Amino acid sequence: MKWRYPFVFITLVIFFILVMARLFYWQIVKAEELSLIAQSQYSGVIKVHPKRGEIKTSDGFPIAANKVSYLLYINPTEVKDKAKTINTLSALLNLSTASISSQLVPDRLWVPIKSGMIASQKEEIEKIKLPGVGFEERFSRFYPEASIAAHLVGFVGKNESGEDKGYFGLEGFYDRLLKGKEGYRIELHDALGRPILIKRNNNTKGSDGGSLLLSIDRSIQFLVEQKLIDGIEKYGALGGMVGIMAPNTGDIIAMSSMPSFAPGKYWEFDESLYKNPFITNTYEPGSTLKPIVMASSLDAGLITPQTKCPICGGPVAVSDYNLHTWNDKYYKDTNMVEIIQHSDNTGMVYVALKLGVDRMISYLTKFGIGESTDIDLQGETVPSLKQRRAWYDVDLATTGFGQGISVTPIELLAAFSTLANGGKLMQPRVVSAFENANGEVLKIPTKVKGTPISEKTAKVMTEMLVNAVEKGEAQWARLKGYRIAGKTGTASIPVKGHYDPNNTITSFIGFAPAEKPKFVMLIILDRPTSSIYAAETAAPMFFDIAKDILTYYGIPPGE
Amino acid sequence: MKKPSLIVTILIGIVISLSIIKAIVYNRLSTTGIFVGKVEEEINFYKTQNAILSEKLLTFSSLTNIAKRAEKEGFISEENSLMVLKTSKPLAVRP
Repeated sequence: MKWRYPFVFITLVIFFILVMARLFYWQIVKAEELSLIAQSQYSGVIKVHPKRGEIKTSDGFPIAANKVSYLLYINPTEVKDKAKTINTLSALLNLSTASISSQLVPDRLWVPIKSGMIASQKEEIEKIKLPGVGFEERFSRFYPEASIAAHLVGFVGKNESGEDKGYFGLEGFYDRLLKGKEGYRIELHDALGRPILIKRNNNTKGSDGGSLLLSIDRSIQFLVEQKLIDGIEKYGALGGMVGIMAPNTGDIIAMSSMPSFAPGKYWEFDESLYKNPFITNTYEPGSTLKPIVMASSLDAGLITPQTKCPICGGPVAVSDYNLHTWNDKYYKDTNMVEIIQHSDNTGMVYVALKLGVDRMISYLTKFGIGESTDIDLQGETVPSLKQRRAWYDVDLATTGFGQGISVTPIELLAAFSTLANGGKLMQPRVVSAFENANGEVLKIPTKVKGTPISEKTAKVMTEMLVNAVEKGEAQWARLKGYRIAGKTGTASIPVKGHYDPNNTITSFIGFAPAEKPKFVMLIILDRPTSSIYAAETAAPMFFDIAKDILTYYGIPPGE
Repeated sequence: MKKPSLIVTILIGIVISLSIIKAIVYNRLSTTGIFVGKVEEEINFYKTQNAILSEKLLTFSSLTNIAKRAEKEGFISEENSLMVLKTSKPLAVRP
C-alpha cells in the first residue's frame, strides 16, 4: 500500500507540470498573437479622413468647398438574398448586374460598389433595408461656382493609391496644405459591440486641411468670364485670356482663359484644357512690349519724350532685313510720344538700337522678362531670353517692337504693372492669406521684386500711354471721362520660320485710372476672325470690361 | 504590537474601498459609453445635415445661380433692338 502515496503525488506533479507547460505556451509563447486577436475583437482602428481646406475668394465665398457624399459598400458574408440585393442595387444605381455580382466574392468582407452618392440616394436605399449593404460617409470636392476660375483653382483627382490629390492651379500648388493630415482613432467595444468609454479617445494626431484666402474678386472674375465668352464669340476668336492685377500689391484680381473646363467634372474634358494658358502659354507680345522698351530707354537717359526719330521716314534696313511699320505709314522726324501713339515699328527700332544689346538684356531681366514671376500657381512656364552671343542687330531691332521674343501673359502683366506702380515690380500672387483648421488667419506680405525704372520714368511713360489711348488707333473705343493708360498689340504668329499673314494674336494692356491705378488688365484674343487688329478686337473688349470695373469700384469719371 | 495590526487593517480597508470605488466607477462608465456613443451619433448626424445645408446654401448663393435666376426673371443685358411697325396706323388712335 506504500506505493499509492508516491503514485498519487507523482501523478499530481505531472498533471501540474502539464498545466504549467500549457499555461507557459499560451501566456508566453503565444501571448502576442492572442493579444492581437483579442484586440481585434474588442477594439477597432478607424481611419479619420481630414476635411480638405476650402479655397475662398476675397469676399470669403468658397469657390472650392466640400460636400457630403456616400460610398455604398457590401459585406458579402452578411448578404442573405444575393439575387435580390444585386437586382435592387442594379436598378437603383444604374449599374449592370454583372458588375455587382462579380464583386460579391464570399471571402471578402468589404466591397465598394459606388462612390459619390448624395444623401437622398442613400436614404432611398436604406429604406429597403438590404442586409450586408452599408454606407461610408465621405467628403468630396464641390465647386459652387461651377467652372468659374477653373484654371486658377485646378481640380482634385485620385492618385495611384486612389487617394484624393490636387492637380493644376491652386489645388495642385497648395495640395499638401489643403489636404490636411490623416488621423486614426481606436475604439473599444464590449462583447455586444457597444462602445466603452474608457480609452476610447485614443487618437493619433490628424488635422483638417488649411484654407486659402484669395485675392480674386468673385464679382470681377464672374464679369470677366462673361465678357470673355461674349468677346470670343463676337470677334470669332479661337480663344482668349484676361488677367487683372492690382499694381501696388501684385494681387491677381481676376484671371480667366477660354476654352475652359469644369473642375467638378474634369474627366469629361480634354486634358489639354487643364493647363492655365495665362501662365503656361508663350507668345510674341508685339506692340504691348513697346512701352517696356521705351521706358527702359527713357530710364537709361538715352532719349526724352521729345527726342526726334531720324530714321522714321521710311522702312529701316537692319542686317539685310527691311523693317516696316504695321500699316506702311511713315512719320518723318516723329517724336517718342508719337511713336507710341502710332505704334511705330521703325521708331521702336531706333529706340532699341539706341539702347543696345547689353542694356536691352539688363532692362528686360529687371522687368522680369525671361524669369519666373514666382506666382503661386502650378506649372508656370519660363521662356528664357536668348544668350548674349545669340543677339544680332536684327534681333535687337525686332525686340523693340515685340517680335522675336517670347513671353507668358503673366510675365507681361507683371512687367507692365511696374509702369503703374511707380517703377516697382511686384511678385504676382493669388493667395493673400492662409487660414488653418482652427480659423487662425495668417496674412502673406506682398513682395517687391525690384525697381527696374525710376518713379519719374514710370510717370512719363504713363502719360505717353494715356496719349496713345486718346489719340491712337483705339481711340474710338476709349472710355470718355476716364484717363486710361494702355497699348494695343497685334502679334504675328511664327509658323515654320515665317509669320502667318492671315492670323494674329491681338491684345490690349492698360491700367486705370492713370493717376492712381486700381487695376492693370491684359486681354489676349487668339486668332480673331472679324479683324486681325487689336484696335478693333481686344481694345474695345478692354474698355468694355474696364467700364464695368470702374463702376464696380465706384470710381467716377474724372474729366 | 497594536500599531502594525492597525496599519495592516487600514491598508486592507483602503484596498477594499478602492476596489469597490473602481467597480462602481467602471460600472457607471461602461453604461455611460453607450450614452456617449449615442450623443456622438447625434452630433455626427447634425454635422452631416449642416454640411448638406451648407452645400445647398453655397449653390443658391453662387453668382452663377443668381445670374441664371435673374435672367429667368427678365433681368437681361440691354441689347439694341429694332422695332418694326407692321401697320401704317398711328400708335395712338384718336378717341
